[in-house]
Amino acid sequence: MSRALKPPRWPLWGALLLLVGALLAVLIFLAAEYEVGRDQAALDQDATTVVGEIRSALLRNVQTLQSLNAFSPTPASWDAPAAELLAQRRELVRLEWRDPSMAVLAQRLSAYRPDVFDLLPRGQALPEVRQACDAAQRLSGPAYSASYFWPKRDGRGLEVMELCLPLSEAGEPRGFLIATYSLPAMLAELTDPVTLRGRGLSFVESDGARLAVHSVVPVQRRTLSAHALLDLPGHTLLLQLESPRRALGLFPNVLTGVVGALSLALLAVLYLLARDMRRRQRAEQRAADALAFRKAMEDSLVTGLRARDMTGRITYVNPAFCQMVGLTAEQLVGSGMPAPWWPPELVDEYQQRQAVRLAGQILAREGYESVFQRSDGTRFPVLIIEAPLIDAQGVQSGYMSAIIDLTEQRRIEELNRASQDKLQATARLATVGEMASLISHELNQPLAAIASYASGTLNLLHQGDGRGDGKGDDDDGVSDDIERAIRRIGEQAERAGRVIRGVADFVRRRDQVREAVEPHLLIEGISTLLTLQAKKRGIRLQVDIAPGTPRVWCDRTMVEQVLLNLARNGMQAMPLGDPGTASGLRVLRIAMAPVMGEAGEPGAGRCARWVRMDVTDHGQGLPPEVAERLFTPFFTTKAEGMGLGLSLCRTVVEQHGGALDFEPAQPRGTRFSFTLPVAEVPAGRPLDAQAALL
Amino acid sequence: MTEFPDAKIYLVDDDVGVREALAWLLRTRRLISDGFDSAEDFLAGAAVARQEPDVPCCVLLDVRMTGMSGLALFEKLRLLPWQAAMPIIFLSGHADVATAVAAVKRGAFDFCEKPFSDNALVDRVEQALRQSAAQLAERAVQRELQQRLDSLTERERDVMNLVVAGLPNKLVADQLQISVRTVEVHRSRVFDKMGVKSAVELANRLRGL
Repeated sequence: MSRALKPPRWPLWGALLLLVGALLAVLIFLAAEYEVGRDQAALDQDATTVVGEIRSALLRNVQTLQSLNAFSPTPASWDAPAAELLAQRRELVRLEWRDPSMAVLAQRLSAYRPDVFDLLPRGQALPEVRQACDAAQRLSGPAYSASYFWPKRDGRGLEVMELCLPLSEAGEPRGFLIATYSLPAMLAELTDPVTLRGRGLSFVESDGARLAVHSVVPVQRRTLSAHALLDLPGHTLLLQLESPRRALGLFPNVLTGVVGALSLALLAVLYLLARDMRRRQRAEQRAADALAFRKAMEDSLVTGLRARDMTGRITYVNPAFCQMVGLTAEQLVGSGMPAPWWPPELVDEYQQRQAVRLAGQILAREGYESVFQRSDGTRFPVLIIEAPLIDAQGVQSGYMSAIIDLTEQRRIEELNRASQDKLQATARLATVGEMASLISHELNQPLAAIASYASGTLNLLHQGDGRGDGKGDDDDGVSDDIERAIRRIGEQAERAGRVIRGVADFVRRRDQVREAVEPHLLIEGISTLLTLQAKKRGIRLQVDIAPGTPRVWCDRTMVEQVLLNLARNGMQAMPLGDPGTASGLRVLRIAMAPVMGEAGEPGAGRCARWVRMDVTDHGQGLPPEVAERLFTPFFTTKAEGMGLGLSLCRTVVEQHGGALDFEPAQPRGTRFSFTLPVAEVPAGRPLDAQAALL
Repeated sequence: MTEFPDAKIYLVDDDVGVREALAWLLRTRRLISDGFDSAEDFLAGAAVARQEPDVPCCVLLDVRMTGMSGLALFEKLRLLPWQAAMPIIFLSGHADVATAVAAVKRGAFDFCEKPFSDNALVDRVEQALRQSAAQLAERAVQRELQQRLDSLTERERDVMNLVVAGLPNKLVADQLQISVRTVEVHRSRVFDKMGVKSAVELANRLRGL
């Protein structure tokens, strides 16, 4: 339930993951950028270094060239050192010594490139030479021309540059030393190959076109490039140093890796923490649920619960207990002895009992009965079941008691007993009534005969009077006496009859209450008693009430007596072991079913006017001599019987207009059947039945 | 001495002492009785259970007997066509008022409790015999009337119906499309056969049927 109330967690987790992912990506990106930037800076540094190298080499060359002319003042002596110089300096393509009017005094071509001026004559390059020399004159020092492309015979060409070195002697200009530089060779010769390993070096124009290339980076690779200006007097060259971009790993460096790993670890820790938290929350929830469950359980109990410590102080009570004694939990908890619910007159006894318990005697598991007092002073019986309260360390810390209020149970027991008593009283009364009825009948018969004889005799005497009028007076006195005596006999017989009738009427005064009764109610009233007796004899009681059995119009109490009598007789006909348990015949069957109208009766076959009730046993059956005298009053086969049971049954049934009968049952035993009128006859009220009974 | 020298009284009681005492009592009043010790015995032995009695009769019936009870026997006898000519008086040692009222309601002549006082029972018996005699006489008259009616011809019956309805001879003749003379002949023959002297007398006799 609490889980459903919580917002779903996955968006939170998704956002967190996204954030960490983004952070990692940014970190990696920045790290990569940093790496690239570092590479770029290194490259820039290297480019500057290369330019410096080239510049200083060029300066050295200028000094060398100046010394060349200083030590070889004549063109003839100049040729040899020039050749040697050219052999040493491969970047130089040609050396010329020109006079101030630009006429060539001596010249020497590098042995390494003898074919440079094959395609075009040297004269073609004169403008660049002049440009350089003009600049040199202007600067009064060595100056360079702009670089230019010099095609060769083989279809390729060479980017070259002129260096003009003005020569002077004692302040007099003596001409110019012109050195032609090959730019590719400059790059190859004047730089440190170690710096250039794996890198591309070239001179480029400002628009990026390559003028001279020393080395290139494979084209498929992305590259970094650095530019540095080679600032020469008269001309400026742009040097480009290229470097392949380093392939970067996912984690460009250890730091990134560590940070990434740490954040992942953090994430994992966070996840584990969250999971642990959730588990803990769940556990707490479960614990709370369990607590609530226990609380609800304790609250719902009708059994009172009470815990006491070893000194007898209350440590806990549940609501049922509070309700029982009519005090609140606050009033009860902490109270010692004598307890507030002890009836004042029993305190001593309870104190004693408590002392026995505290002495460590083991109490009976089935508990003991006691009497408590409510706050309003009323007493009520309780059953107390106690158990020692043992804590986690195994030490007894007190007692836990369950207290059951026996008031209701007592009431039901009382009620049951009362209903049993009532049933038995009814039975006794009915028996007495039947006995009175039988005795009155039996006595009335002879009394009727006596009265008849007396009346007859009087009749005869009167006839005698009529006939023998003159028979003699002395006879009259005698016959008068006789007549008086006989009249007395008749009167006394009548008096005896009245006495008997008075007794019978008194016993029978109970109003015969007729009511519509559901058939099953007739059984229910006596089932407790029957079940008890059946159990004692190991007999199974089987009650079959046919569906649609209508209500019967009867005196419920009396019909219950009939059923009880018949059922009891049936069970007495089946003593233990006859029939045996294995036979499956130890069954007493009580059946109820409507009797469909017999042929000839009005409404035959359509609706029942009678309900037939059968009580079948599987005893030995009735011997003929018993069957013959079965309904005779005071005839019995039982030692303690009065012989009134069946007689009573017949009286009751006949009073209801029904008939009691019996027949042998299958496979053995006897079936007693009787009929009772149906309460509702569709035509209206139970006409015939009522008429017959009224 | 007695009104009913040939009357027949049936005693049905399973107690022989009571039966004999009653028979003796009745004899002192010059009444002749027959005793039966059970309902079954009565049904088998008494002529009145099978055919209409020709002399006044009465049945004294004990309520409770072994075998078929008095009430059950009464239920059977009640269905006989001559039941009115055979009054039934219940005798009971159980002063059961409810049973008594029910029995009388269903057509019993009376209900007497044992022991009987003096001659009250015999007086009731005589009243019953009187009723029986009256019933028998009535039944005899009815029978005779029926015989007379049976002796009429069809045409005479037609004429009689119209005459009894109060029509004068002329209208009767018109209705039956016969002459007034013929009507007069038929009419006198009807009066002859029915043993009456006037149409009013005839109508009175027929009303009793």
